[in-house]
Order: sequence, then C-alpha cells, then structure tokens
Amino acid sequence: MLAYEFRWSVLWEQPYGLWMLQGIWTTIKLGLISWVFALLLGIIVGTCRITPWKPLRFLATAYTEFFRDIPLLVQLFFWYFAAPRVLPSAMESYLYRQLPQAEFWITVIALSIYTSSRVAEQIRSGLQSIPQDQFHAALSTGLTYLQMYRYVTIPLAIRIMIPPLTTEFLTIFKNTSLAMTVGVLETTFMSQQIEAYTFRGLEATTGACLVYLAITMLVVSGMGLVEKKLAIPGLIARGR
Amino acid sequence: MAIFDYKVIVDNLPFLMRGLITTFQLALIGISGGLALGILVGMARLSSRPYIYYPATLFVNFLRSIPLILVIFWFYFLVPIIAGRPLGDFLSASVAFIVFEASYFAEIIRAGIQSIPKGQMQAALSTGLDYKQTMRHIIIPQALRNMIPSLLTQSVIIFQDTSLAYVIGLKEFLRSASVVDAREVRSLELYTFVGIVYFIFCFTMSYFTKKWEAKKGMAR
Amino acid sequence: MIEIRNVSKWYGNFKVLDNINEVIQRNQVVVICGPSGSGKSTLCKCLNGLEDFQQGDIIIDGVSLKDPNTNLYKLRQKIGMVFQKFELYPHMTALENITLAPIKVKKMSRQEAEKKAMTLLERVGIPDQAHKYPGNLSGGQQQRVAIARALAMEPEIMLFDEPTSALDPEMIKEVLDVMIDLAKSGMTMVVVTHEMGFAKEVADEIIFMDQGRIVERATDKTFFSNPKTERAREFLNKILI
Repeated sequence: MLAYEFRWSVLWEQPYGLWMLQGIWTTIKLGLISWVFALLLGIIVGTCRITPWKPLRFLATAYTEFFRDIPLLVQLFFWYFAAPRVLPSAMESYLYRQLPQAEFWITVIALSIYTSSRVAEQIRSGLQSIPQDQFHAALSTGLTYLQMYRYVTIPLAIRIMIPPLTTEFLTIFKNTSLAMTVGVLETTFMSQQIEAYTFRGLEATTGACLVYLAITMLVVSGMGLVEKKLAIPGLIARGR
Repeated sequence: MAIFDYKVIVDNLPFLMRGLITTFQLALIGISGGLALGILVGMARLSSRPYIYYPATLFVNFLRSIPLILVIFWFYFLVPIIAGRPLGDFLSASVAFIVFEASYFAEIIRAGIQSIPKGQMQAALSTGLDYKQTMRHIIIPQALRNMIPSLLTQSVIIFQDTSLAYVIGLKEFLRSASVVDAREVRSLELYTFVGIVYFIFCFTMSYFTKKWEAKKGMAR
Repeated sequence: MIEIRNVSKWYGNFKVLDNINEVIQRNQVVVICGPSGSGKSTLCKCLNGLEDFQQGDIIIDGVSLKDPNTNLYKLRQKIGMVFQKFELYPHMTALENITLAPIKVKKMSRQEAEKKAMTLLERVGIPDQAHKYPGNLSGGQQQRVAIARALAMEPEIMLFDEPTSALDPEMIKEVLDVMIDLAKSGMTMVVVTHEMGFAKEVADEIIFMDQGRIVERATDKTFFSNPKTERAREFLNKILI
C-alpha cells in the first residue's frame, strides 16, 4: 500500500539538524517576546473593558471584537504587506531592505495584537467571575479600594485566570507557525525547507509536530507546578 | 506612498469572490465533517473501555498541541501517498480540517455531556430507563442546548482557519487576494478588503451567537 | 423483602459502609437517620443499584444485586426513588417528566400514560401544574412531581433520599403529607430523613447510622425520648428542640 521509503535521518543529518535547531530557537524567541507584549496589552485592554467610563469601555470592546474576528494570517499579511505601503517610501524601503529581521518583528506586532485581544477577553471574564460579595466584605472591614485590589481582587484573579491564560500561552506558540508565510526562519519554515531539499515531507513535518508537542508538554507541566504552588483548596472547581 | 484606490478590488471582484466561495466550501466541510467525527471521538472520550478511551484521548491531545499549518502540510504529503496519486489541494485541505477540527469539537461535546449533573442520570435510571434511553431523552438534549454557543464559536474559528490553506496554494479568499497583489501590487487595498470581509462575517456570526445565548438563558 | 447482608463499601481507602445488615419487610416504613457522612444516602443508592458495593450482598424479592445475571434495569422498574435535589428533567413539563418512563419502558400509549399521570398529579395535589416546566414550579411542587414520577412505574418499593432537605420550611409539610399518605396506603418505604415528626407518625422501624455503621435500631417511639446508645442520644439532642 505505502510505496514510500521513510528516511527519518533527514531530521538530524547536517545541515538539516542545524536548521531545525535554529528554527526551534526562533520559535521560542518569537513566542516568548510576543507573549510579553500580548500580556501587557491584554491586561490594559481587559481592565478597560470593565471600567465604568463608557468611552473607554467602548474602545476596548471594539479593539477586542475587531482583532478577534479577523484571521491571524490576514492580520499578519496586513502588517507585513499592506501597512508599510502607508509609510513614506523612504521608511518603507528601510523597513524591507535594511532593518535586520524585519519579518520577525512585524510578526511580533501582529501576534501580540491578535493575542492581546484574546487575553483581554480572559482577563475581563476572570475579573467578572469574582463574586461581588468578596468586594463588599473587604470594603465593609474598612479597606480602601486600593487595598482591596491588592489583597483580595488581584490574588483571586490571578488564580482564576491561570488555566485560560496557559491555554493562550500555548496557542501563541502554535501561532508562531504562521510566520513561515512571511519568511521567518522558525520551526515550520525549516521543516518545509528540509522538505524542499530532500523531498521527505512526511518525516520533516512529523519532526516539526514533535517539536510543538514537546513545547506543549513542557509548558503544561510547568504551569501545573505553578498552579499547585498557588492553589487554594476549594476555590476553583476543576471541571476539566 | 500609496493612495487608497479601490478600483483594483472592483476589477478583480469575480476572482476574489470565487476565492471566497472556496473559503465557504472548505469551512462547511470542516464544520460538518469535524462535527461528525468530533461527536464520535467526544463520546469515545466518555467511554469506560480503555481500548476506546485511550486512542480517543491521544488523538485529541495530540492534535490540540500542534499548529493547524502542520496538519495541513502533513495531510498534503500523506494523502497522495496513501492514494498512490496526487489528489489536489482542496481534498488534502478538507481531510486536514476535518481531522483537526474534530479534536476541538470532541472536547466541546465531552465537556457538554459531563456538565449535566449526575443526579439527572440517576433520576432517569431510577425510573427504569436504560443507559441508551437516558442519554437520548435526558442527557443529550440538555447537553446540546448547553453546547450550542461553543459549537457556534468553534464554527466561526473554522471559518477563519480556512485562510491557512494558503500555505498549500489553495485558492481560497486570502490566497486569491495575494495572487492579485502579486500582479497589481495594491496590498493596502486588497488586504484591507480581505480583513473587512472576514470581519463582517465573523462579527455577525458572533453577534447572533450572543443573542441566541441570551435568549436561551431567559427561556429557562 | 429487602435483605441487606454484610454490605461494606469503600471509596478508595475510606470505608463509607461498614458491614450493614438489615431486613426490610413488605409494607414496612423504615426511616434512616444520622449525621452527615454517616453513609445513609449511599446505602439508599445501593438498594437500587445506582451505587455499587465491594462486599456483601443485597437481595430484593429473591433477586441478588451481585448476581451478574440480574437485570438492573428491570429491577429499577420495581423500585422508585425520590432525590434530595428533585432532579426533574428541566427541559420537559411536569406531565412529560412523569410519562417518559412509562411510555419508553413499559411501552404504554401516550393517552394511557397521560391519564395515569394526571391521576398521580391529583394524588399529590397539583393537577393544575401538569403543563408547567420545573423552572416555574416551587420546590415543594417539584418534589411532589418527582414523587408522582417515581410512582408512575408502579413500584413495589419507594426510596427517599432526604426528600425535604432542600426545601424551604413552609413547603416541607406538603411533601411530608404526600409521603404519610403513601405510607398509610401500604407502600414499602425506605426514607433517609431528619424529619422526626414524620418518623414518629408512620415509621415501623428507625435506623440510626453513624460512620458507616448501624448504631441503633428501634421499633417503637421510645427511641425519641430514650435512645439506647450514647451516640444516638447526642444526635437527637442536637436536632430536636
């Protein structure tokens, strides 16, 4: 049935092995840097979504809805191909020709903004899930709003939000694979590069799959440890 | 610096619309095929028989750990090998989508069924109904009602995910736009147009999903 | 009619039922009381096979629950159960809740089933609520529908697992009245409850459980004024005013 000879060594023969390692390193860098920006932006937008000030709330909601309803790949293409057209042509040519690793940083922009809109949603829903009475209880003992945030709201919110944020963190690593379409030399790109040179598409793609699998397992076990350290018994119903 | 010139969109509209139709076709296949497979896998995840539970669990956990792009590539290489001849990018993409999205649907279904309190199952059993009858009349109708928002949201995600078929050259909406871009170099207009079209569809879908959710909440 | 022989059950390392032995005769009303965690709900659920147990056996009308040939589904047609949280199907009307099992299991026609269901609703006092959804019924009404639902299968035994514990105080009486009426009509009942007034009126035997064991059995009203064991005395002091 399968008239195909497997040649798994393409994954570690030189120079292919080196390419894979470079790709993995780029994936990690891309994921972590984008995550930091996404978190910062997401927290800001997320808290804006529940302020009592209407204009701010509207802006934040528009931001969230907009970036969630357009595919990430389209957003990436927009930032990479379309947006630079708006710049004066001198800046545009600097961007494409001289800025080292322009595609890497443009991907960071696209990925951060997209992910931040999702993070904002998690933040909003996490904050809203804390029962009102918690705040009432804190305030009734004489704490100020600021103290309440520091000692009650934020510790509770962090614990509630860790599972969904972990999922988001994993998603950002998976989404780094889209950067291959604009020429970022990350894992998926490298696997297809190997395929182009060796015609061993199945092996190369499987190798890339294993990389993402490994990243996922590492993150999940790492976050599991963090959750255990922070856990409050009986607080979160672990449904999943 | 480019001035916004929408003429390029008007001139190429038929071509772009054909791409959009392909997008819809792929999305529909992904949603229906994925849902069908997802129901099977989701139910398997609830089974007490290890030879059913473990393969299903492995399937779901594996597919949810890797990017969709890789799954698309993987089936792009695999399908012709199994069939013995090249079968075209639409078919490979369809298979990839069905398998990938099934893992997400499976989780929604599993969670939906598990969210029904155990007492409902016990009450039904105590009146003499058997397991199959209980699932059919009591558990699944309630679970379905709970699951519909998540299923709708996942469908919107699938619609967006079709853009990834770009990587194997499938002429869906995004790829069609980039083909025009390669010829006319009007990136700003084209990709803005693509973005707006996607936004209109997805936002409308999410809007109706939210409305449905609100309505359902009150009918109880 | 119900024989419980040396039944023990563990959840992991925790022994929730410890060597339970009991015989319940036809037409008897047995009340099981005790502190939370004493295993009384678990014992109740073992009687119709909803919960499994590791040791011992339960024999109902000559049929052993441990026998692999026993058809539990058929057995459950003979035993009705009422739950603490009512557990009415929220997506069906009161009438539909009651007629589902008779139609699907006993293959009754819809008209016949509905006629019987209306009779039962009259018996529990709420025929006018037949077409309402559980969400629109009060707790007391829901529990009475639940009793009607259990009675619809014409069981020989009725199990009640803390039927009034989730009810507002004003509604407890309406449910207890239905149960007393049922007891007086000769139904074999096993009732897990704290309602000592009910027990005083219709119970033939009172079982006091603590930590998985039957600590005391009493067949007359002296249990309430003068329990024989220390543990039962402590318990009654706490719940009786």
